[in-house]
Amino acid sequence: MAHDCVIVGAGPAGMAAALTLADHGVRPLVLDRAARPGGQIYRAASASPLPDRSVLGADYAAGAELITAYTASGADHRAEADVWHVGADGKILFSTDGGTCQAEAREILLCPGALERPMPIPGWTLPGVMTAGAAQVMLKSDAVVAEGAVFAGSGPLLYLIVAQYLRLGVKVAALVDTTPRDNYLRAAPLLAGALRVPSMLTKGLSLLHEIRQAGIPVFRWASDLQVLGQDRARGLRFVTPKGAQEIAADTVFLHHGVTPNPNMTRALGVQHDWNPDQLCWHVRRDPFGQSTLAHVSVAGDGGAIVGAEGAQCEGRLAALNMLCRLGRIDRATRDHLARADLTRLKRLAGVRRFIDRLYRPQAALRVPQCPDTLVCRCEERSLGDLRAGFDAGARDPNALKSLTRCGMGPCQGRQCGPIVSQLLADWRDEPVSEVGYYRLRSPQRLLSLQELSRFNRVHPAPEEAQ
Amino acid sequence: MFRSLRTDAPARVRVLVNGHPVEVPAGQSVWSALALSGQITTRKAALSAQDRSAYCAMGVCFECLVDIDGLPNQQACLRRVTEGMQITMQTITEDTKAEL
Amino acid sequence: MNADVLIIGGGIQGCATAYHLARAGASVILLEKDYIARHASGVNAGGVRLLGRDMAEVPLSRAAIQMWQELDDTLQGDTGFRPTGLINIAVDQADLDKLHARQNLMQAAGYTHEHIIDRDELLARLPHVNPACVGGVRSDLDGHAIPYKATNAFRLAAERHGARVLDSCELHALRRVGTRWLADSTAGRIEAATMVNCAGAWADRIALMIGDNVPLSHAAPMLMITARMPQFAGPVVGAVSRQFSFKQFENGTVLIGGGAKGFADRANNATRLDYAKLAEAARTTVEFFPIMARAAINRMWAGLEAYMPDNLPVIGPAVNAERAFHAFGFSAHGFQMGPVVGQVMADLVLTGRTDFDLTPFRIDRYDRKVL
Repeated sequence: MAHDCVIVGAGPAGMAAALTLADHGVRPLVLDRAARPGGQIYRAASASPLPDRSVLGADYAAGAELITAYTASGADHRAEADVWHVGADGKILFSTDGGTCQAEAREILLCPGALERPMPIPGWTLPGVMTAGAAQVMLKSDAVVAEGAVFAGSGPLLYLIVAQYLRLGVKVAALVDTTPRDNYLRAAPLLAGALRVPSMLTKGLSLLHEIRQAGIPVFRWASDLQVLGQDRARGLRFVTPKGAQEIAADTVFLHHGVTPNPNMTRALGVQHDWNPDQLCWHVRRDPFGQSTLAHVSVAGDGGAIVGAEGAQCEGRLAALNMLCRLGRIDRATRDHLARADLTRLKRLAGVRRFIDRLYRPQAALRVPQCPDTLVCRCEERSLGDLRAGFDAGARDPNALKSLTRCGMGPCQGRQCGPIVSQLLADWRDEPVSEVGYYRLRSPQRLLSLQELSRFNRVHPAPEEAQ
Repeated sequence: MFRSLRTDAPARVRVLVNGHPVEVPAGQSVWSALALSGQITTRKAALSAQDRSAYCAMGVCFECLVDIDGLPNQQACLRRVTEGMQITMQTITEDTKAEL
Repeated sequence: MNADVLIIGGGIQGCATAYHLARAGASVILLEKDYIARHASGVNAGGVRLLGRDMAEVPLSRAAIQMWQELDDTLQGDTGFRPTGLINIAVDQADLDKLHARQNLMQAAGYTHEHIIDRDELLARLPHVNPACVGGVRSDLDGHAIPYKATNAFRLAAERHGARVLDSCELHALRRVGTRWLADSTAGRIEAATMVNCAGAWADRIALMIGDNVPLSHAAPMLMITARMPQFAGPVVGAVSRQFSFKQFENGTVLIGGGAKGFADRANNATRLDYAKLAEAARTTVEFFPIMARAAINRMWAGLEAYMPDNLPVIGPAVNAERAFHAFGFSAHGFQMGPVVGQVMADLVLTGRTDFDLTPFRIDRYDRKVL
C-alpha cells in the first residue's frame, strides 16, 4: 500500500509542507533523522536545554511556533528515521530502531537541507577543528559550547554563532573574517534589491555591530589560513594586510557558506545545474519545486540555498502542487493559493543575491593550495594524490574516484565532492558544469548488515489508503 | 575546552568513554558526552592512524565514527547516550586484524 | 583519422585488445562512448576466478590466470591484482557430492587446479566461517584485482605503444566500403581495415550494424561494499550452492556479491536495485560469517552486464562481414579473461588464427537453421 505523500526531512520546508497538506486533508508520512522536528536551523527550538533560549534570537523563537503547529497537524511524524535511499520508483528506505523499513509513495517531497562548504586549509582534519554549524548544533541541542575558540571564515551564520556565544558570556578568542575586500564593491549594485526586505539587512548589520561592541579581536581581509598543531588544533595562523597573525585556541570553527546536501537527489538521479553565483549545484525544478522526476519535489536549502523563510515558502508551494497532482485541488486553486509565497520568494531572492555576492568565498579557500593538504578526509587523499590521478588519465570525477579512492569513504563525497569538481575544472580549464559531479550510490549513510537484514515494509493506516 | 551551559538539573546517565565512567545529561548526543569528558578523539584515520574528531556534528562528515556497545561505525553526533552505554574510540586501520 | 584496427568499447576486453595489437605494431583507434571501464569492467566485483569455470572456458581462463600473476610487470602498471586464492564453501553433503562429481570431470580432462578441502582445512583457512560448514573447494592462483585500475593499466600500456583511445566518443554509424571500414563518430570520420566489437552490453547493436544478429540479454548483478573492517578473510569466498560471495581487500573493505540481480535499464544507461533481495543477501552473509553482522555497508550498486543464453561469451570472427571480430557477452564473468581475450583478438586480427578452440564461442551458434 502506498502513501499519498512522503516527506523526507522535518526542517522548515518539510514542516511547512506538512501543514499545507494537512489543511487539505492529506496526512503525510514524515521521516526525520533527528530526535525532534526542526531541522538544523530550528534544531531543538521546542525543547531547548538552554537556560534562556531568547539569546538565540527571535527567528529561533519563531521556529518553536512552527514546530508546535506542525506537531498538532496530525502528520505521521517518525523521529530518528534515517532515510538512506529514495528511488525513482517511489520506494523509500530508511533505518529506524535497528532495522530497515521500506515505504512507497505517490508523491515524494525531499527536504535534505544544507551542509557547510568545505574549507580545505592545512590542518583542517585535526581534532578541535569544526564547522560553525557544529557549534550551533552543540549549543542548540545540548547547550555545549567551546570556551576560547577562534571563528574563521565569512557569512551570516558565522557572525550569528559568534554573537550568540558573546550573549551567553562564552569567551571568543577571535573572529577572523575572510570576506574579500573586493566583494563589497561587487555586491554594491545588488544592494537595492536587498533593500526590498530591509529587516534582513538590519539583522545582519546589528550582528556585526554587536560583535564589534563586545570588544573581541576581529581580523578582516584574512587569507592564507592554516590550523596550527600536530595531534590536535592549537591555534590559527593567517595573513591580513597588516601581516601574519597567530591566535592560540584549542577549537577552531570554520565557515564560508552553505550548499545543498546533494547526496539524496544525486543518488536518485534527478537533474542538477551548476549555479555560478552560489558556487554549488542546484536541483533543476519548476516554480513549485517539482524535479525532473514528476513525482519528486524538492524544497528548502536542499534544492538551492534560500534560507529558513524561503524554505517554508517552497515547502508550501511544493505541497500545493502535490495536492494538485493528487487531485485534491485543481490547478486554478493551486495557482491562487501560491501567489503570496511566489511573491515573497522573489523578494527574498533579491536579498539572497546580495548575500551570495557579498560573502562569495575566496577561491583560494575552496580548493587546497598545498600538495599535502587533504581533499578526501575519509580516504586521506591529498591535492598531490589527485593531481597524480589526473595526470594518469582520470579527467572525470568518477574516474578519479575509481583510480584514487577519493570520495569512496563513508561521507560519500560530501566533503571532497565540491573540491574535486572545482579542481578538475581548473585543471581541464573548463567550467564546473562540464566537469560534473560524482555518481552517487545508496545508502546515504553507513548501514549495518544487521540493520539491512531486518527488513520491513510500512503501509499507511487503512483509512488513508486509496 | 568544551563546557555545558545547563543550569537545570537534568536526569543523568552514566556511560563509559574508553573505559572511564562519565555522567552526562540523559538524551544528549554521544558526541557531546565525548566533548564534555575531554576525550575528543573519535577515531583513528584509516591509513595514517592520526587522531580524528567530530567536524560537522550534524551527520554529514562521518569523522565522529565510534564503537558503541561493540558495534563500530556509529555516528557519535547522531546517537544519543543511554545508561551504561560503552563508547570507544574506533581504531580500524588497514592493519587491524579481527579477533576470533 | 585512419588506423589498421578500430576497436569499439573501452572495457577490459577492448583495452586489452588495443594493448596486444599496438604492442605487435598495429595502429589502433579505440572508441569509448563514456569513459574507460565505465560499465561492467569498472563496476564488477573484481574477482579473478579460474575456479568453477565452464569446461569450454577452462583453457582460456587457465591461460589468463597465468597472465594475471605477472600482469603488473607486463603492463608496467598497477592492476591491484592479489593472488589470495579462492574458496567455495560447502554447507552439506549434497554440496560435497557436487564437488566430487566435478572433480571427476576435471581430472578426466587433465585439470588439477581445483582442490577439495575438508572442514578442518576450511576452518584453518577461514577461521571466521560458520563452523557448521562442512568443507569446500579451493584454487590457489585465483584472487582479485581493482577493475578500474586493471582496465586503465591496459589502456595506458596500449597508449604507450601508440594506440589512440578516444573517451566520450560514440559510434553513430559503421559501414564497409571496398576494403575499408568507415565509421562516423563523435570525433568525426574514422577509417580502418579491421574492426573489433568489444562493446559489452551494447555489443549486439554494434553487431547488427555489420549484419550479425545475436541474442544478448541484460541483467544487473548487485554489489555492496562495506566500510573498513578488521582483516578476517584472506581468500575470496564463495559458496557451492548458495547465492553468496565476498572478498576482503587489503584496505579492509569487504565487497559482497553473490549474483542477486537488480533491474537493468540499458536504454537509459542505468540500473536499479532490489533492496528486498539485498536484505536476503545480507542475511546469507551473516549466516556464513557471523562477524559480518557488524559490517557497515557504504555503497550499493549494480553494473549493467550482457548475457548470452548459455552464459558463454562470443569470441571470434563476424559471420556476415569481412575483417570484423567480436569479443563480448561474457555473462558477468569476463573480467578475469580480459588479458587472454586481448591476445586472442590480436592473433585473430593479425594472423587469422589462434591456439584456442573458439567453437563454443561462435557468434552464430544461435542462428536459426530452420523455421
